[in-house]
Amino acid sequence: MGIKKVGLNRNVRPQTLAEKIFFLDFIKGLKTTIKHLFRKVITVDFPYEVVEPTPRFRGVHGLRNVDGTEKDDFDAWVKKLKIKPPEKGETRCIACKFCQAACPVPDIFEIKAKKLDVPKDHPHYGLKVLDVFNMDLGKCMFCGLCTLACPTICIIHTDIYDLSTYSRRGWVLDKEKLSKIADDFIARRGSEKYDEKSEWPDYQRLWNEADLARAKAWENNPPKLGPNYADQT
Amino acid sequence: MSWISEERLKKLAERFGFIKIVDNPQASVIEVPKENLIDFLKFLKEDEEYQFKMFIDWTVIDHGKKADPRFQGVLILMSPKNWERIIIKVWATDERLPSLIPLWKGAKWAEREAWDMFGIKFDGHENLVRMFLWETYPYHPLRKDFPVRGYEEVELPSLNEKERFDQLEGMMNYSRKHTALPTLEDLEITQKKRMPNKKSQMVLNWGPLHPGTHGTIWFLFDMEGEYIKDCDIIIGQLHRGVEKLAENLNVQQIITYTDRMDYIAAINENHSVCIAGEKLLGIHEKIPEKAKYIRTMMAELSRINSHLLWLGTYALDLGALTMFLYTFREREKLMDIFEGITGARFTINYFRVGGVYADLPYGALDAIEHFIKELPERINDYETLLTRNRIWLKRNIDVCIIPEEDVYEYGLTGAVARASGVPYDLRKIDKYDAYGEVEFDIPVGEKGDSYDRYLVRMEEIRQSIRIVEQCVAKLRKMSKNDPFFYEPEDKKMKITIDGRGTKLKKGEVYAGADNPRGELGVYIYMPKDGIKPYRFRLRSGAFYNLQVFTKAIIGRPLADAITLLSTIDPVVGETDR
Repeated sequence: MGIKKVGLNRNVRPQTLAEKIFFLDFIKGLKTTIKHLFRKVITVDFPYEVVEPTPRFRGVHGLRNVDGTEKDDFDAWVKKLKIKPPEKGETRCIACKFCQAACPVPDIFEIKAKKLDVPKDHPHYGLKVLDVFNMDLGKCMFCGLCTLACPTICIIHTDIYDLSTYSRRGWVLDKEKLSKIADDFIARRGSEKYDEKSEWPDYQRLWNEADLARAKAWENNPPKLGPNYADQT
Repeated sequence: MSWISEERLKKLAERFGFIKIVDNPQASVIEVPKENLIDFLKFLKEDEEYQFKMFIDWTVIDHGKKADPRFQGVLILMSPKNWERIIIKVWATDERLPSLIPLWKGAKWAEREAWDMFGIKFDGHENLVRMFLWETYPYHPLRKDFPVRGYEEVELPSLNEKERFDQLEGMMNYSRKHTALPTLEDLEITQKKRMPNKKSQMVLNWGPLHPGTHGTIWFLFDMEGEYIKDCDIIIGQLHRGVEKLAENLNVQQIITYTDRMDYIAAINENHSVCIAGEKLLGIHEKIPEKAKYIRTMMAELSRINSHLLWLGTYALDLGALTMFLYTFREREKLMDIFEGITGARFTINYFRVGGVYADLPYGALDAIEHFIKELPERINDYETLLTRNRIWLKRNIDVCIIPEEDVYEYGLTGAVARASGVPYDLRKIDKYDAYGEVEFDIPVGEKGDSYDRYLVRMEEIRQSIRIVEQCVAKLRKMSKNDPFFYEPEDKKMKITIDGRGTKLKKGEVYAGADNPRGELGVYIYMPKDGIKPYRFRLRSGAFYNLQVFTKAIIGRPLADAITLLSTIDPVVGETDR
């Protein structure tokens, strides 16, 4: 076992007489503080400057709509759960309740599907649509398990972190609100986070390098992001 | 693995006829009858060959209402001579167990906790009071017949918010009933019971809401002038019953709760659960190389993060405000890296039993390298400010010495143990994840005063930087297509990233990781295969480290309480669980 002994007289010299008399320890300390005085300002003046959350950031949830970037097995899932095949702009949710099963606090979700009220000869007879999808974010701990469980990448995390409301009502989001959040997020930053099959691509960046506020927190000397692995480009 | 060797165990069984060796592949477990327990433990502790003198954990399993006897005590010991562990189980007939305080002083709080949670009485315990809950609380929550939601019996209409005179409906509505809450009288009774025989004129209350206590810890000091004659600590203000919650979740979901325990080093807490879960499933050697290195790297970054916060607040408590600003500046960068890689800055939830949930994003290693490159220079700056400053020396040297015996007696782990001269480090003993393959030194102090604890932690930051450098170099050589999550070949085994259907195996295991605040050990007991763990014990390093506070502070002036608490560095989320 590699052991390194530390302690006074072991890796730290005790103060010498000269240091004691001339207060050299204080002078050295002052030198350091003065050096740090001239470092760049790192304070981000929120709310005038806002650091953009990273692509993987786990913020308020959203429900994605069908937009042509579904996974290959999307139709199979729709068929399996007897959901009416969604058209463009309709929700991807197939009411499988996997998110609720994966959630450590299942009370968050209220998910219901209803049967379509159509005559027998209609092609959608016997199929279901999503009726209720409520999320109580007051109970959520943003662990991300629901998004990993979702087979159609419908429920996602967005970059919104501001959840303050005047009443508990504001924490309960229904499916319209969730869809709107997701649409808005996908339009803003969808390409950063997802590829054309709604998977996390390997070009997904650690953070947006063009973000000046984040660069400020790194003393205007942010790291240059490059590939991680030898065979990555 | 670091369990007692077969031959030594056999020898032990030959010598003592009453020992029953439990068949369990993941850990060495023996059962001992209650009447022989104390003599047997005395032998184990003092015998030259075994020397199981280090106390690790002492807890209880509830086998359900129908079982007779219903409760079983579980004692985990460590031998510093051979660096091996043993689990000793004993049935608690008549809901009583013998107290282990004459052998290990650290058993005091463990027994209080067992009394609080299970209602087991310990014969010979000097002052058996509750650990987390208040004295007048009627239930013992970790018993199997206690519901997860508790008994909702107090009416608190204010919980049910009214908006424009109408009730909120559906999900927004909260029940008007709430589980029992302590009143001021309850707290007064609790406080009085903690210090039944006070020695001097004044009992000083420090906390629970004092900035110097770094959380909600309530100290009682029996003062003689400026000096402390007796001390006890009331914790539990942040008790959330993680162990009870864990019994109703699958193992991947438990990880999210451990984020909320030691919130400063959330990654390390996740790590402990992963290590234990993998050992129980027997897959700890099959974890993909990439996941191992990512986890080691992240755990060490988290240790740096935690130690930077510790350094800042410690110096702040002792009057050096600048340090706080400097370390938080560096910490911010680390938080950015965590946010980019895991998706959260604080409550990370990145590790899984079987690996990690996602590969590193583009540019992650560059950012880590960038951070690691300039950190040593900053650490040197901090050391110039503090290490040989005369005020710092006066306030730290020879303050609250924790001798080596106390490490064994109280089961101290982490930097507190190492500063007292015990090279106890699970990273070296268990060699979990990639720690067996990277090079680093364990810093070890000399006499165990506050100054040594400071130096040990500073050296730990440097060693962490070394480990991260090696991990980055190793990860660079890997391919982007390497797996980061273990896919079981065995059809019966199911492990998923989102946790649904992840099954645990029959058996029992104790494993843990070396966290910035000591060893967070996880003891899982499974009587049969299943999704939910039957008993999920979290052995908190901060909890046992905090216990030594009550001894080390005795005879010291009040001002040293701040120094001692800062150098022990507990986090209330972890001590209270």
